[in-house]
Amino acid sequence: MPRIVCSAFATLMLVLASTAARAAEPTPAPTAAPPRTVLYLNAARLDFYYNRFLIEGDGNVRVRTSDGFTVTGDAFSMDLKLNRFMIAGHVTMHDATGTVSGAAIADFLDFRRIYFVPVTSEPDRWTFLNGDLAHPVKGREMPGDAFYFPEVNEHPSVTGTGAVIDSKTYVRFINAHTYFLNSGVPLGTYVVNFSSNQYFAQNTLSGASVDLTWTMAGSPNALTALHLRYDPTYKTYLSVEQHLVGDHEYAIFSVNPATRAEKWWNLALYEKLGSRFQIQSFTQYYTQQAWLREPQAAQQTTFINATYAFPHSYVTASSQLTNYSLLGPGSLQPHGTVAGSLDHPSQLQVTASSFQNKIGNLPLYEQIYEGYGFNHDTVGGDQYLQGFPGHGAPIPIPGLQAFGAPCPDQHGVKPPPGASAVYYCPVYTTIWNTVLGFNLFTPSIKLNQPESPYETYYFNASFNKQYQWNSLPHWISTTNENFSISRQFTRALNTYVGYQILNVGDHYIKGGYLPCEPVNTSTCPLSFTSFRGVSTQRTTSLGLNDAPNPEFNFSLLVRHHDDYPTAVPGLFGLPPNNIIGQPLYTSYLGQAPYDATGDVRFKILSHAMLDLSRTFYWYGNPYRTTFWQPTFVVQLLPI
Amino acid sequence: MRRIAFAVSALWLAVVLLAASAGNIVVSGQLLAYQDGYVFFTTGDGFHVAQDIVIRDAKTGGPTALHPAPRIWARATFDPNGRVTELDLSRAPLAPQGSFADVARFAVALSSPVPNPDLLDAATTPPPGQTTVATQHFSGRPVLVTFIVQVPPYTPFTSSIYIATDQSGWNAQAIPMDRVDALHYQITRRFASGTVFRYLYNRGSLQTQEIAQNGLARKPRELVVTDADVRVLRDTVYAWQDAAPGGLNQVQPQIMPTPYNPAPFPNLPPGLPPPQPPAGKPPR
Repeated sequence: MPRIVCSAFATLMLVLASTAARAAEPTPAPTAAPPRTVLYLNAARLDFYYNRFLIEGDGNVRVRTSDGFTVTGDAFSMDLKLNRFMIAGHVTMHDATGTVSGAAIADFLDFRRIYFVPVTSEPDRWTFLNGDLAHPVKGREMPGDAFYFPEVNEHPSVTGTGAVIDSKTYVRFINAHTYFLNSGVPLGTYVVNFSSNQYFAQNTLSGASVDLTWTMAGSPNALTALHLRYDPTYKTYLSVEQHLVGDHEYAIFSVNPATRAEKWWNLALYEKLGSRFQIQSFTQYYTQQAWLREPQAAQQTTFINATYAFPHSYVTASSQLTNYSLLGPGSLQPHGTVAGSLDHPSQLQVTASSFQNKIGNLPLYEQIYEGYGFNHDTVGGDQYLQGFPGHGAPIPIPGLQAFGAPCPDQHGVKPPPGASAVYYCPVYTTIWNTVLGFNLFTPSIKLNQPESPYETYYFNASFNKQYQWNSLPHWISTTNENFSISRQFTRALNTYVGYQILNVGDHYIKGGYLPCEPVNTSTCPLSFTSFRGVSTQRTTSLGLNDAPNPEFNFSLLVRHHDDYPTAVPGLFGLPPNNIIGQPLYTSYLGQAPYDATGDVRFKILSHAMLDLSRTFYWYGNPYRTTFWQPTFVVQLLPI
Repeated sequence: MRRIAFAVSALWLAVVLLAASAGNIVVSGQLLAYQDGYVFFTTGDGFHVAQDIVIRDAKTGGPTALHPAPRIWARATFDPNGRVTELDLSRAPLAPQGSFADVARFAVALSSPVPNPDLLDAATTPPPGQTTVATQHFSGRPVLVTFIVQVPPYTPFTSSIYIATDQSGWNAQAIPMDRVDALHYQITRRFASGTVFRYLYNRGSLQTQEIAQNGLARKPRELVVTDADVRVLRDTVYAWQDAAPGGLNQVQPQIMPTPYNPAPFPNLPPGLPPPQPPAGKPPR
């Protein structure tokens, strides 16, 4: 009852906050769309410099523009980011009003200014304003760098003989070649997308150790790419990805790996409707099939997320639907089928969150949230298998969790003959939950007032409390407290000391976690026998960063975990690592009591930095076990 | 006597050469075009070419296979009448020599110069509050830009924070940041003034990108690097796309099979039995 009252109160507060603030909603100011121009470019040779977004062309240059004129000349230069181009040497400009010859022409597309050096009886300087090619302004002073060629010393990334350039969006090279070990690799067409629309960067491919991308087709709203990839699991393979992008939506589809029997078909969709609502989804369809033959296994999982924004709060609905086998009942028996479980769980959570609000004039901010939802599974996964390991084979059970008295069967299924396992009833196939929580934090408080800012100490703190009540009668309480004191010693050097306490309690109203057994064994050490579903993780951190210049950075993080249950080497599973060797999740039971992570970044190329990091773990007494993170994490970062 | 005559002749020749060279002006720069009896430099200025122009290699002073053309660097010698009498060519940039201001009077143009209202006076200080690109002068000087971001209080302590920019094709890990305290990360980068780019913070991938305070996807922040020695930007991330408040029940797409029961301890030892009610007391 108290939790219902709390939830109802929080809902009321959220709605009131939304209503009261509606009048203060700002009106968005209209912005003018930038002019868009398409250039159709041909030349004896075109060079593209990826790191500077430059196109340089020489010999028989011909440019036709969507603005209605054609220019020929000896040399071409375009800065795609500045959105301006220049043609020089024996220039001829032709449009509906006639033909004029000259020495050079520069088109500043963003500003709708064309600067021309014609040669009639003598040279002159003409400026065309706002696309009016019939009435040049003669003699007008020009920008000092209107006709400058950029200085390039490196090898081009891509060469070609033609290009279609859509200003501020993409360029498609024709007869393109790229270079590997100074050898030309023919690409046919090659598309470079440099749109500022971040949706083009969304991708649905999983990580890979190496990815060579051939973007073979593109338009202002689409991009098609073929990826040659390598990872330790699937080795070398090809993948395909298609982007369809608009101003307020995107659709991204991929097959990865496309040339292996195990294929992951991914589809990400996003749409923003109006200014307050967005919906997005991600669907992953897994098949095991040779090329496009009938699959031997097929799984699917879909995430759907919808958000509605209020003036001072928002509501999010998140859902996940999974089918571990789409081949259907009876499909597991045919020879050659590798499909596994017929499990098809689903989950929905609706959460309302307030904005971060300052509390009066205090240096404190609060945020509250609450949610309702359910998890549903009639077949059962492998969490909380019924029957005790060591007391019989794992028993497939229907539902999410069995919690009750021993019973002879579950949903009519009896234990396997000879198994000593115990079935419990009832089995929960749907678990409803209510979540209520809040954040309280203070961004930065000065602890002293010295003359020098490099002698100032800052204090930060945050506090999070969350309850989750479940229809299977248990409730989960999470408390997370963070404190830190930091100081910037010089412009380059800063340090901090942090302390975190994370309490997680899984409280069953009746019963709960049982003691492990047999005690004092490798699977049930003495330090673990008193665990009853409540953990406390205390972490002390010392961090140091030294960045003497933007091209070099060193950081060190040393931590001490004083946790309950006590960490025992090999007892708790370690989190799996991602493709580059970092743990997938960062807070878990059994963390090594000490760890130290060093990270160094330094510039190796004009536009790239190398990032090297590695972590060392040690357990201290009595185990004295030590180990390194399996490999160095090496990343090449573009500047 | 013969010795004196030789000395006088040499002196006279030196005086003549000195006088002749005093009337010539030498300027180096990059060619824009060479056509119709004119040579054009990348300043946009065109100059008359003498009929008997001499073309040499800029490095050796001897004959060259290079032809005056766009992109070629040239050292031009002007006679007192403003005609280019010699061009020394090179594919590599030449050391700056002379000033085009000294030969501007020789540039040929049919029309009289007219001021351009589009162009800003470099010495003019923009009035307070005007920060837009169209009205501001940028020198292109390197500017140290420090980004300091405050992250949501529930951000995992060991999270890595990055800045993704449109300059790097929205590479999610383009600019890694360093933690400075429980809630803040910072990084300093050097940009040329006048640089304009858009950026967003993330936790290592575009699926962990920041979202707006109202829970919707946010528009990228835009930065115009203005002339300064140092700039400090202070931003706030209100929420992450994958870790909104109340996310205990949220599942991670990387983990298959997904644990559908929202239990809090994903890595308990296998020797631990599942939670159960006390014997003989089933829950109500």
